[in-house]
Amino acid sequence: MSDTPTSTSEKVLSARPPLWRDIVIIKWVTQVFLLVVVLTALWFLTSQAGDNLKARSISADFNFIERPVDIQLSEGIDTHPDSGGRALWVGMVNTIRISLIGIIFATILGVIVGLARLSNNWLVRRLATIWVETLRNIPLLVQIIFFFSILTVLPRVSLETGPINGWFHISNKGISMPRVFLADGFYQWLVVVLIGAAVSYFVYKKRKRIHDETGADTSPVLWALGVVALFGILGIFIHPIFSWVGSIFGALASLFDSLPILAPQLLLCALSVGLASTWIIRFIRKNRSARGHLSLVDDDWFRIIFTAAVSVAFIVLFVRWTGFSSWILNSGRDLFEVIESKFNVDGAARPFDAMRPDIVQPGKFPNYGSSGLTMSISFAAVFFGVVFYTSAFIGENVRGGILAVPKGQIEAANAVGLKRSHALRHIILPQAFRVILPPTGNQYLNLTKNTSLAIAVGYSDIVQVGTTVFNQTGKTLPVVGIWMLFYLSCSLTISVIVNWFNVRMQLVER
Amino acid sequence: MNETNNETSTGSNRDLSNAADMIVCENVSKWYGDFQALDEVSATIKEQEVVVVLGPSGSGKSTWIRCINRLEQHQEGRIEVDGIELTNDLRNIEKVRSEVGMVFQQFNLFPHLKVIDNVTLAPIWVRKKPKVEAQEQAIALLERVGIPEQADKYPGQLSGGQQQRVAIARALAMEPRIMLFDEPTSALDPEMIKEVLDVMKELALSGMTMMVVTHEVGFAKEVADRIIFMDEGQIVEIGTPETFFTDPVEERSKLFLSQIL
Repeated sequence: MSDTPTSTSEKVLSARPPLWRDIVIIKWVTQVFLLVVVLTALWFLTSQAGDNLKARSISADFNFIERPVDIQLSEGIDTHPDSGGRALWVGMVNTIRISLIGIIFATILGVIVGLARLSNNWLVRRLATIWVETLRNIPLLVQIIFFFSILTVLPRVSLETGPINGWFHISNKGISMPRVFLADGFYQWLVVVLIGAAVSYFVYKKRKRIHDETGADTSPVLWALGVVALFGILGIFIHPIFSWVGSIFGALASLFDSLPILAPQLLLCALSVGLASTWIIRFIRKNRSARGHLSLVDDDWFRIIFTAAVSVAFIVLFVRWTGFSSWILNSGRDLFEVIESKFNVDGAARPFDAMRPDIVQPGKFPNYGSSGLTMSISFAAVFFGVVFYTSAFIGENVRGGILAVPKGQIEAANAVGLKRSHALRHIILPQAFRVILPPTGNQYLNLTKNTSLAIAVGYSDIVQVGTTVFNQTGKTLPVVGIWMLFYLSCSLTISVIVNWFNVRMQLVER
Repeated sequence: MNETNNETSTGSNRDLSNAADMIVCENVSKWYGDFQALDEVSATIKEQEVVVVLGPSGSGKSTWIRCINRLEQHQEGRIEVDGIELTNDLRNIEKVRSEVGMVFQQFNLFPHLKVIDNVTLAPIWVRKKPKVEAQEQAIALLERVGIPEQADKYPGQLSGGQQQRVAIARALAMEPRIMLFDEPTSALDPEMIKEVLDVMKELALSGMTMMVVTHEVGFAKEVADRIIFMDEGQIVEIGTPETFFTDPVEERSKLFLSQIL
């Protein structure tokens, strides 16, 4: 393109290269070739596994999900599940339950441990160091069994001993404390609180604006929380006036009932076309140069075509698979009917109720009744195990994050006269958080996966339940497949949440 | 710059003998373990005076000016800033820090905050200024240092010279009576040094009391009222730029000048 190219270079530029040297062709061929290889390998492996299983007359189908099983679980939403699928579902809920509670407590404890390791107080610092070094250097399985064996030697529970209907009771059956639970009036009360939240948003904005305009200390966050609390208390007395809200959900339920299957199908197709086309348009716009020239490489074309193909595949799926659309309609209708029924309650119903632990003796042995909030010793062993273990690692993350803030930042904050608390809030924590978050997300993943050690102490998590299910049905491979899919979706969910925060926190650089 | 009154000119030709004392140091000493960083440093800096501290690296210049707003703690002697003595009393330390602005060699801007928020943070949280007012002031200061158009960028998107000018604006936002500069141009590319020095000159002309640790001899000759030369934690020589650069008294000063000039 230059004015006076030498004859040889012009020749090289203009001559079409042979196919095997043309990078455009090479790229396309490798992309397609790789796709074919991956698909073939997958097909080969699954068909091989299928053939092998057939040869040994092991069936790898998922029929057990519907078939009845004879399983009794120690705890969960359903202790006598009527089918294999139901049993696995109970196990999943138990795993999610212990993971979520564990993540919350491990975070709180970890932050405390991390700050304690940086404390100016010698004793606090030493204790935190001992905590971290002990817990992270002993295998988690050993720790879980250790806590379990401590709990099993606690005194027995019986109808005579111990404060029946007391506030707090601990024995070899577990730890029981008072339970606050949602009563019939809860959903009406929730409406009041939601209105309170909306009001508090405006109060927050207002207080913030006053602060910005006059510089006065208006504590907008405290005001907003106060408004929500006020509405919460008010709601306890006035919530029955919202019983009519149920009829809205009733109307929604009948709307879902009357919609044709075509409606969700159209919606899903539109969604899939919409998403794919916005992605493509954005992608093309992003690759436009300042002068408006499109600069797409072959990889980019491949991605565009791939996206379009996927969206077409989804449309075909939604059109052919009418069951999915009718499932959406049915479950939507069911959901709104359930919500409607929540509002159909006696006007005097309270939003909350509380009950203290009790001890009952249904058969030979006394145990805790259902009124208190009871942590079984298996749950407690796994809970203490994963929380303490993970808190040591999170503590180290917190310590590292705070130490990673350059000393110059603290000096600059001091030099402009910021108080220690303000420097912590505006300078140190925002920068430390950015360092702490990614490794802590990993610890959340670890904690979730580590709960599978619950099998050692008989807590009914998905692995323990699944083991029982495949022992009874012989469907090892499908159950293991469900395990893997379940843990994969848990981990991906956590990753997505953590990454979302991560992207928001990134520093802007050149 | 054709004014003749003392208010708007700098350099050793003006008479500051009637001005109030802004910084008084008496026999200030400091050790890092066995190493003595400051050895009986005594000096008085007057209001509106511009003092340049020179000396080889490791001579205690930075340690000294960092003691003046208590980023480092002196162990012996006394330091008084605008009549407030620096003791362990937190209230005194906070009062001194809000009157003394500091500019660092490595800028130390807050990377997670926009330029404008870097400047308004302290006025809003320390001076309890309304946000709107603080932002107007910040824009005015950014105009003064010549970069109002960068207000909504992050520090990481600016050049070194621009970052250092933001740091000066950030310090000025607290309306300090004294400005300390700890090697403000040492981390900058040569072509950016001038833009920072120009801002500092303008500041000196406006009557700010300034204490500057620097190796910029040109700046020292042009702007300083006095030169303080330090070596091995001690003040070796104090003099006007004319006498110090042309006719130093001490042997160590001569050696130092022969190496840098």
